[in-house]
Amino acid sequence: MTRVWSYRPQLLHLGLFFAAYILGCGFAQALAIVPGTGISIWPPSGLFIATLILAPKQSWRWWVLVGCLGELFGNILWFHSPLPAAVLIYVGNALGAMVGAWLVNRALGRPVRLETLREVLVFVVLGAGAAPVVSATVGSATLAWFGILSQTFLGAWPLWWIGDATGVLIVAPLALVVIQNWNSKAELSAARWIEACAVGLILLGVAALSLGGYLPFSYIIMPPLLWAAVRFEFKGAAVTLALLALVTAIFTISGASQFAGNAENQRHSQIMLQLFLAISAFSALVVAAISRQHQLALLTLRQSVEALRDRERELSQIVNMVPVHIRRLTPEGEPTFFNKRLVDFFGLDLQQLNRPGTSQLVANIETLVHPDDAPSLLQAVRHAVATGEPYSMKYRMRRADGVYRWVDGRAEPLRDEGGKILQWYAISIDIDDEVRAHEALRDRERELSQLVDALPVHVWSWTPAGELAYVNKRSLADLGLSKANLEDAVRVAQKLVHPDDAPEVLRASANSLKTGDVFMMRYRRRWKDGNYRWIEARAQPLRDQDGAIVHWYQVSIDIEDEMQAQEALRNREREFSQLVDMVPSLLWRLSPTGEPTFFNKRMMDFFGVDPREANKLDTSGRVAIIESAIHPDDSAEMAKALNRSLATGKRFSMRYRLRRADGVYRWVDGSAEPLRDESGRIVQWYGLSHDIDDQLRAEETLRESERQLRRLVDALPTLIWAAAADGEPIYLNRRLAEYVGLTLVDLDSPDASRLQMAIQNSVHPDDTASVGQALAHSFTTGETFTMKYRHRRADGTYRWIIGRAEPLRDTDGTIQQWYGVSFDIDDDVRTQEELRRTQERLAVASQAASLAELSASIAHEVNQPLAAIVANSHACHRWLSVEPPNVERATTVAERIIRDANAAADIVSRIRALFRQSPETRNSTTLASVITEAGGLMAEEGARRRVRMDISVENNLPPVTLDSVQIQQVLINLIRNGMDAMDLIAGEKVLEVQARRVGSEVQTEIIDCGRGIGSPDRIFEPFFTTKQHGMGMGLAICRSIVEAHGGRLWAEENEPRGARFIFTLPIATKAAP
Amino acid sequence: MTTDDHVVFIVDDDGRIREALGELLEAHGMRAIAFGSAGEYVNAEKPDVPACLILDVELPDINGLELQRQIAVGDHPPIVFITGHGDIPSSVRAIKRGAVDFLTKPFSDGDLMVAVHTAISEDRKKRSERAELSQLRQRYLELTPREREVLPLVVSGLLNKQAASELGISEVTLQIHRRNMMQKMGTASLADLVRIAERLEIPVNHSRRGGGN
Repeated sequence: MTRVWSYRPQLLHLGLFFAAYILGCGFAQALAIVPGTGISIWPPSGLFIATLILAPKQSWRWWVLVGCLGELFGNILWFHSPLPAAVLIYVGNALGAMVGAWLVNRALGRPVRLETLREVLVFVVLGAGAAPVVSATVGSATLAWFGILSQTFLGAWPLWWIGDATGVLIVAPLALVVIQNWNSKAELSAARWIEACAVGLILLGVAALSLGGYLPFSYIIMPPLLWAAVRFEFKGAAVTLALLALVTAIFTISGASQFAGNAENQRHSQIMLQLFLAISAFSALVVAAISRQHQLALLTLRQSVEALRDRERELSQIVNMVPVHIRRLTPEGEPTFFNKRLVDFFGLDLQQLNRPGTSQLVANIETLVHPDDAPSLLQAVRHAVATGEPYSMKYRMRRADGVYRWVDGRAEPLRDEGGKILQWYAISIDIDDEVRAHEALRDRERELSQLVDALPVHVWSWTPAGELAYVNKRSLADLGLSKANLEDAVRVAQKLVHPDDAPEVLRASANSLKTGDVFMMRYRRRWKDGNYRWIEARAQPLRDQDGAIVHWYQVSIDIEDEMQAQEALRNREREFSQLVDMVPSLLWRLSPTGEPTFFNKRMMDFFGVDPREANKLDTSGRVAIIESAIHPDDSAEMAKALNRSLATGKRFSMRYRLRRADGVYRWVDGSAEPLRDESGRIVQWYGLSHDIDDQLRAEETLRESERQLRRLVDALPTLIWAAAADGEPIYLNRRLAEYVGLTLVDLDSPDASRLQMAIQNSVHPDDTASVGQALAHSFTTGETFTMKYRHRRADGTYRWIIGRAEPLRDTDGTIQQWYGVSFDIDDDVRTQEELRRTQERLAVASQAASLAELSASIAHEVNQPLAAIVANSHACHRWLSVEPPNVERATTVAERIIRDANAAADIVSRIRALFRQSPETRNSTTLASVITEAGGLMAEEGARRRVRMDISVENNLPPVTLDSVQIQQVLINLIRNGMDAMDLIAGEKVLEVQARRVGSEVQTEIIDCGRGIGSPDRIFEPFFTTKQHGMGMGLAICRSIVEAHGGRLWAEENEPRGARFIFTLPIATKAAP
Repeated sequence: MTTDDHVVFIVDDDGRIREALGELLEAHGMRAIAFGSAGEYVNAEKPDVPACLILDVELPDINGLELQRQIAVGDHPPIVFITGHGDIPSSVRAIKRGAVDFLTKPFSDGDLMVAVHTAISEDRKKRSERAELSQLRQRYLELTPREREVLPLVVSGLLNKQAASELGISEVTLQIHRRNMMQKMGTASLADLVRIAERLEIPVNHSRRGGGN
């Protein structure tokens, strides 16, 4: 049911269908002119078929239902048939319509337009012929069965069939037209409208006249009917048929028509009427279909022609507008067509080129092609024509303006199916610009190549893979390469790069090849002579549009000279830098405004700037250093001086103190001068601070020492003077000036020299001559001057002085100056005698004292053990005295006594040994000097004790080796013993000292005339004495000394009285070392 | 025979002398302690008994006379000098400075023993005197300040009245102070007090003759 409902046509359409159906029923009733026969023509069948043809099959039941309602409704109004008969009749009608519609759709497909003859014929045969068979059969049978109007089946069937067929023929086309064109606007021109109206009027007029009986023949209506069908085709036919049916109906009903006959020929009339309408309709429809078909054919033809014309125009335009010269030649090669471009190019057309007597081809070529190219072109064309092969050639053609231009000409033949050549089509393209560009390009390339080869650089190109692709000629020549041994980067580096640089070059080049970064390096490349030269190599990639590297191009420039120059420059710079840094001064540079822009290394060191920090030092840092280093006392003055110099441009020079790194302020002598440019503007200040601290201190020390020296010279209790080389006094110290009461000025006299004046005024008159003579002698010979003379003091007294003068000589020995001193020796001279005597006394005293002291020391040494012995003896005695005696302790003490006594004896023997030692103090001397000296020492004592000393020493005594001090002591001791011995005697006291040579010895005798010797054997024992105050050591010591010298000492009685002490000393047998 | 109530110190650089003297003194029943140098003696711990010092003049560190001079400022035992070679000036100087004797080596035991005995008895006496003086000083220190003011006034012979006026106190008060002072000093008579004041070397500022001046 849903399907049924979903295919339900619009209610409006169903309503209209219903109304039209009832109208058709009414129309059929009106035309039923034959009484009792019922139906004449049956329009509902046409309506029904047309509707079903157009409607979809699924909706047919709706239309059948509505048609049934309309039929039954018409039956009630007009036909009054029994209901079963009516239903059966309708079933027949509906069945007929459905069969017709199905057949038509089946034969024609949808939509049914009835525009061709075939369609119309199919429609007429199936729709108007076959369908009514069904309905006529069913209807006639029904009538016969029910006996309605007393009809027989055979009598009713033809009427029924014709009626239905006529209905279909008249109404169905109309219905189709109306339904199909309901919404489409018919576009008719005014002329067509007039024509349509005229046809309509004529039709109406003819119909009226013919049907009204004024014209004998009803078929007279046909011409206007066909006219309408021809002119207005299917629509015209449909409308006209409808009008005809109406007019016929009106006239038939009114009885005016010939078809309204009397009763006997009613059936015949009926049939005639139906045939009339049917034939008219059939004819009109067929004509309309033919007309339509014809019209369509005409239209199609017109459109085809139009299209062809357009195509031709386009082709022509293409041929003329294509920027190519196109020619057509006959199979023999004669040109028959030039396209417009070619004509324009030549400025000539074919006719103008035509020369009688010669072939068109030859004429063309000779006229239009460059003479150089014409023969070869002609030959090529002829060859092509002869063989049928296409040709292609480049040659020059003369343009209209006379210029020859290069063209690229080609020709190919057009052949028919049999292979016969119909035409040659030839084109030529202007390639002049191209050729010229090509030539220019070649020139450029050649130039470039020459350029690349001539450039004094090495130009290489590499493939992206790092293989050497191109090397310019200069590289080949310089490096001794041949094109054959171009290789990859690694081999090139190995062959041509300095071994020290090769790894880096390889690394950098590999990196560049990988990343595509520009390669740039300086390294050494080996020339063919084996030398390495510095080059600067740069390589850059050439990339395509996608950025992929196509090639690497490398340029290597020989920078050997530059490098050498740079090296030289660097060396010079380093030397300068070293110079600046090593100069033992502080060098600095200021900007014109006074900011320090440079300190040399010495300066940095001076300030203690860390060398690592030195490079980072900027101007402000330097300013800070200077400000902190300058001595606070000098700071203001230096700033002032510097600012003055900066303002005026005058040289800066100042001494100031700078603090060294160790915190010590040092004096420096700073100076700076400006450097000016051509215009005189100050560019820089160059300054130098020289450390003069040591110098200043040295100067200060020098000044101080000079001052001290002068003070010293002035303060010295000495008279000092200086004279020029010729002896003229030029300086007297203060003491001298005060001493003589003269100054240099006083010595200036017009009559005499200063020297003469000085001598005359200050020297004792007795000494003047000798002093003058001696000085003159010294000044002329350069010998030292030394002299004692008397000087007159300022107070007028004369005093002895000793004057000395010595020359100061320069390196050549030339005398520069004389310096002289004079000592006042007056007091010395006077005290000299006394002094000498005192000295002698002192010497004697010391000799005596030394022997006494020695004795005391010996006494102490001996006393110590003696004291111990005594004390121990008392203790021993005590231990033995007690009751009972302590023998044990006494024994111990007695042992100590023995020990100490031995110690005392050791001491004495050690003393004696003492004098045997010390041979190192001995030297070879004449004994005479020792004796004289000892005599001198004892002379005063002898005088005091009224003893006369007679000393007689043999001449030419040989030298002896002796310790003169010890021998002197022996002599003094023996002399003093002799004097002692003579103390108490009356009369003359004589002490003789004699020395003479006896054999290999020198023998010395000291002879007195005293009491003599009591016991000559014992006197030499220690501590033996005959004196009241004596230690008894003297003679023992003397003997020890003499024996130590290898001699002997003994005593003899002297005749007539006194004693004689004799000692001998061996003569030195060999020279002392 | 050896007793501990006295001791003899020997200072001599010669070991034989030290040994012999020690032996001799011991034989005489005396206790002896020997030192090799002046420094050893000065720095040594010595028994606090009457003693004698036998001192050699020639010593390795300092001269014996110099040592005598140095220790003279304090209490020290009497000195007997011994010397190897005595000269007169040295001996005079030593005796002047209080040496008991100056013996020249070698010396007899008689001379030495006499000198040693003399020195010990001298020292014993000096010690008792020192003890007495010390007692007196102690007494004096126990006096009140006012009593110490009163003492010199009394000793100088001022009357009680004069002394009181000198101190600005009443006579009765002065008498009380005087009695207390006499009692503390352990003396009954003014004469004793004067003697004590002398020994204590108390300055006497006033005298009756001097009056108010």
